[in-house]
Amino acid sequence: MDLAAKDVRRHLGKFIATIIGVGMLINIVFIMNGIYRGIIDDGIWIIENTDTDLWVVERDRGGPFNEQSQLPRDTYKSVAATPGVAKTGPFITYTVQRGVAGRNQQFTIIGYDVFIGLGGPKRIVAGRNITAGHYEAVADQKLGVRLGERIHLGVHDYTIVGLTRQAVDTNGNPLLYLSLSDAQEVLFQRDNQAIYAQDAATIKKLQDAGYTATQAGQMLPLFSSNTNIISAVLAKLTPGADIKKVRSNIQDWLYLNVYSPEEEIQLMLSGRLKKISITLGFFRILLVIVSIVIIALIVYVITIEKIRSIATLKLIGASNWVIIRLILEQSVSITLASFGFGYGASHLLEASGQFPRHLIFTTFDTTLVFIIMLVGGVVASLLAIWVALRTPPSLALGG
Amino acid sequence: MDVLIVKGLKKVFGEGELAVTALADIDFSVKKGELMALLGPSGSGKTTLLLCISLILEPTTGYIVINGHEIYKDGWTDVDMRRFRRENIGFIFQSHNLIPFLTATDNVALVMTLNGVSDREARRRSHELLDYLEIGHRADALPALLSGGEQQRVAIARALANEPVLILADEPTAALDTDRGRKVMALLKKIAGERNSAVITVTHDHRMIEGFDTVCELSDGRFVKKPL
Repeated sequence: MDLAAKDVRRHLGKFIATIIGVGMLINIVFIMNGIYRGIIDDGIWIIENTDTDLWVVERDRGGPFNEQSQLPRDTYKSVAATPGVAKTGPFITYTVQRGVAGRNQQFTIIGYDVFIGLGGPKRIVAGRNITAGHYEAVADQKLGVRLGERIHLGVHDYTIVGLTRQAVDTNGNPLLYLSLSDAQEVLFQRDNQAIYAQDAATIKKLQDAGYTATQAGQMLPLFSSNTNIISAVLAKLTPGADIKKVRSNIQDWLYLNVYSPEEEIQLMLSGRLKKISITLGFFRILLVIVSIVIIALIVYVITIEKIRSIATLKLIGASNWVIIRLILEQSVSITLASFGFGYGASHLLEASGQFPRHLIFTTFDTTLVFIIMLVGGVVASLLAIWVALRTPPSLALGG
Repeated sequence: MDVLIVKGLKKVFGEGELAVTALADIDFSVKKGELMALLGPSGSGKTTLLLCISLILEPTTGYIVINGHEIYKDGWTDVDMRRFRRENIGFIFQSHNLIPFLTATDNVALVMTLNGVSDREARRRSHELLDYLEIGHRADALPALLSGGEQQRVAIARALANEPVLILADEPTAALDTDRGRKVMALLKKIAGERNSAVITVTHDHRMIEGFDTVCELSDGRFVKKPL
């Protein structure tokens, strides 16, 4: 006779409430797993989906994603002259917060030389790539824009000529691809009043130094800041080129840092993504512990509630196994049902597309959580089993 | 034939100056089909005696023989004692102690399944027992939906489930009114007569022992009225 099943049937409401409660916690564990994998996937997406053999960045910098990197635009020409390099392209990336598609949102702009093509968008699901030098853009669907829509950035309007899917930066923000000069303009375009104020201040400094107003005015362009900068140079190598030699040449002669795509991914994983990975991992461990503790407490309480029945069972000659099975079966049932609830809820949430972050569920994570929860469910029942086995049968006697 | 023989039974709790003698000089025997009442005020040692007979509390000295087997013999493990209890003794409790999440049938069948009887056979025999105790119409009811008298009948059916040679009833009428209490006692007499089980009933209510074969009374752990 399956005592555990009969008890569950009798107290179905209590068990369902418990399963929903613990299931929600496990649901959060799954979502944390999904966020973790999603962040990793997002974080390295742009690296994996940029057609380059080498990332050339500012010296002693871990750029362009993990750390800011600034290079003069023409650096790509110097890199192109390195033996073994077939093709190079300038690349700029930066995150902005602007009003697009009727709402103020954060997104990352990628600027690249549209005629060279390196660094351009992949996974275009609608429309085409940028073909004009100005005022065309390819946006990710997540940005909420439609094909053919014109969006206003800085002082110009840009037409959306292509849409990508799941093209996001390390924070999950959608990417917007522009031509390099457009991207630079959006980044460095300053307010007119600010330009006037800075120019006036520069002229005053020059006049204080003894120059006439005319001379100061003529010299003004020399003091304006250089906005023709890029974040990195993308380099494609010639077939059979020795990658070690090429990167050594670039590092030694051009005084730049060079990373392979794999190294760039490692930079992301050990840099920007490391802390968030540890934080998410920490929360996942905490949630699993909390879930197991809650199961332990619930199993303990429902065991204590029937302690007199357990004493009666012992008195009428039930073996310890009958009692252990009763408790263990309920504990494992709660654990498995909660796991099922959490699994289903998290996958439904992911399928609904309403979760603000990209969620990725892997078989490995699911299996790991399952094993941990199953072992946890067994461990959770130990306290209750210990109390039950220590219960004297004599407790059944008396009023 | 004697189903139960208790000889020179003594139970002492604690040691030295703190020692408390709960039972002393207990000698009696009970035959098949005999109905014995054990009377005594609270603290007189009734429950201690019941625990000793139930293989739960080992006496300090003396011995107990049930159905020809001396219990608490060296080498008897906890498993042996539970099996012996399951096969030879039926229990009826003051507060019925039915498993609240099992129906009347399941409560009775459970004891049989613990003894290795199949679920189907156990349920069939449970229905027979419940019918015998005139509670068959409530076979599928949970204990919470039964009256006190009905619960006690189910508890009696459970005690009879494995056809024990000895039934121990711990104040079976304490939770019932006088009328229902008398009916339960009548039922116990019927069981002793028809099923040939020896029944020892602990009670402190003298009104309930009318017609019992043997009446003995405990006070401060000793028989003040010894069984004849």
